[in-house]
Amino acid sequence: MRFFCRENWGQQLRQATALVGLLTLVSGCDWMPGKPKPAERWQPDTAITDFANLYQTQCAGCHSRDGRMAAARPLNDPVYRAFVDPKIFRQVIAQGVPGTTMPAFAQSAGGLLTDAQIDILVQNLLAGAESDRATLRLPPYRAAPGDVQRGAVAFQTFCAKCHGKDGKGGPTGGSVVDPNYLALVSDQALRTAVVVGRVDLGMPDWRGYVSGRPMTDTEVSDVVAWLISHRKK
Amino acid sequence: MIKRLQQIAQWFDDRLHLTKLFESTAGHHVPKSSGSWFYVFGSGTLLCLMLQLVTGTCLAFVYVPSADEAYLTLEYLTYQQPLGWFLRALHYWGSNFMVGIMMLHMAQVFLFGAYKYPRELTWITGVLLMFVTLGLAFTGQVMRFDQDAYWGLGIGTAIMGRVPIIGSDLVHLMLAGPIIAGETLSRFFTLHVFILPGTILALIGVHLRLVLAKGINEYPKPGVVVKRETYDQEYEAIIKKEGVPFVPAAISKDLVFSALVMFAIFTCAAVFGPKGPKGFPDPTYIQTAPQPDFFFLWVYSVAALLPPYTETFVLLVGPVVATLALFALPFISNTGEKSARKRPIAVLTVVVSLLALSLLTWAGIRSPWSPEMTAWTSDSTPAAFLKGRSPLELQGALVLQYKQCRNCHSLDGIGGERGPDLSRIATRLTRDQLIRQVIQGGGNMPAYGKNLSPAEVEALVAFMLTLHPSNVPPVRDSTIPAQAAL
Repeated sequence: MRFFCRENWGQQLRQATALVGLLTLVSGCDWMPGKPKPAERWQPDTAITDFANLYQTQCAGCHSRDGRMAAARPLNDPVYRAFVDPKIFRQVIAQGVPGTTMPAFAQSAGGLLTDAQIDILVQNLLAGAESDRATLRLPPYRAAPGDVQRGAVAFQTFCAKCHGKDGKGGPTGGSVVDPNYLALVSDQALRTAVVVGRVDLGMPDWRGYVSGRPMTDTEVSDVVAWLISHRKK
Repeated sequence: MIKRLQQIAQWFDDRLHLTKLFESTAGHHVPKSSGSWFYVFGSGTLLCLMLQLVTGTCLAFVYVPSADEAYLTLEYLTYQQPLGWFLRALHYWGSNFMVGIMMLHMAQVFLFGAYKYPRELTWITGVLLMFVTLGLAFTGQVMRFDQDAYWGLGIGTAIMGRVPIIGSDLVHLMLAGPIIAGETLSRFFTLHVFILPGTILALIGVHLRLVLAKGINEYPKPGVVVKRETYDQEYEAIIKKEGVPFVPAAISKDLVFSALVMFAIFTCAAVFGPKGPKGFPDPTYIQTAPQPDFFFLWVYSVAALLPPYTETFVLLVGPVVATLALFALPFISNTGEKSARKRPIAVLTVVVSLLALSLLTWAGIRSPWSPEMTAWTSDSTPAAFLKGRSPLELQGALVLQYKQCRNCHSLDGIGGERGPDLSRIATRLTRDQLIRQVIQGGGNMPAYGKNLSPAEVEALVAFMLTLHPSNVPPVRDSTIPAQAAL
């Protein structure tokens, strides 16, 4: 019976009450560090609307984190952003470029992004490009390939210094007539490369091949035609 | 007033025999030597179970075990209900601690030879309790009906499906159908909240009854051996000579340990919070890297690291052998030395098991074998690998991303770790070997021949041939004379 006749049970009761009170107080404060933050809540990838997040998860692989030095065309190049046609830019993200390494990102084309997400990418990637377009006076984004013969001549003037007389590679530029290379890029990619260059890799744009003498619209189209003529038929 | 209360208490005691019950249970005499810090793990496990019962019941007030609503109720608990997250965290950490302390209890019983004569059945019920506890842990993981739960179940059923002859029936029984669906969740809910807790309570009844009947193992002394003929008298003598009532004499350390465990669980819950829920369990989301809970990470590692041809054998025969060994243990080593100091093999068994489990768990946490499903679009090609490359080589760098090679192969340590890092691949493979490896695969790599055009292969190989440090030349094909190669 020892257990039923504690003399200090009143004191114990008081202590217990104090303990319960303390616990209530502590539990009342819903502030502890383990409390999951709403930001950490899982959301499907289609719910992401943050541009930086979208770019890092979807584009950075090929176009690099900062968009400056990349395996594919760096998107942070102001000349390119001014050059590209926003409508086609959007279409390329959504539908990809068949036959090249640019995949389709729209859900309708088998990708993971919603139309709204693609709009966010386009808006942010091309933000501010409008004003550059006015000042740069670039050759048109789209144009039919020109004349192959004239292109060969223009190539000697503007490109041979780096890419070699036959285009098979020179001291500072690799081969641009390699059939495997040409099989993997679109005609438009060739045109973009001629106009915009690859600043990240040391290739200047259409103004810089011969100093003080930018390429004319015709010359650009002709060189592209000459490059295309090296494709395997 | 006190007197009156005493009278009432006496009246009840006369009818309920509470004092007698107390004396034959909590107050029973145990060897004084068993009041040791090593003997606290059993009660610690029991306390965790109590916490699980309380928190689990509270969770069941809100949780709806249906495929549509389970995830929603989890989110409600985690983000909306005041302290709902804390309740989930307590239940989660309680389960981690319960499994952990149970394993400690088991190791202690094993090392102290407590499973030997006459306590064989205590050990066997303990082993059964371990299986039920792990069953609760697994079914509990399914209750958190998210992507981890979905794929964890998938792996569980894939193992079951390998059982010869009755495999598909077992899968059907486990999932309540051919696929993971709402019925599956109902089935696991029933297991988790009715069948397994009921079983565990019944088994604990037997386990404790056996502890009372056969007494708590005395603290073993090196050189004192158990003999079937004499042990019972010896134990009786110990109890007579230095027996103390469990309550209040021997329980103090249990209480202190239990308090520490509670404190640890509450602290972990408050600081680290609950786990998940990690994504709606939709199998069409492939951008996920599911991992089982802490206590099953080692199984996950084993399943991932086994050579494919041993998988079925090890996964099906291994557990049977391990179970039989656990059940057979008290009969194989029924008598003899109890002290760990005189049982090197027992100590070695525990050390090796612990090491193996820890290393496998660590491997499971890192899980380098899982492809990184997002690497191809999110991990950039390091700039150093792009400088001075030709247009074709740059296209190769793009093919490496586009064809998702990066999900398994890292460049400069960034990317998947399933396959080897490609940063120095040109120092290991020649052009011909690279082409063969890409097209035909091999060594766990799939063949990409059908998924790559000739131009893509050429570009990819051209890029990989540039991947060597400037001071290490690329490897040379020995069939081509050195001059020609230069």
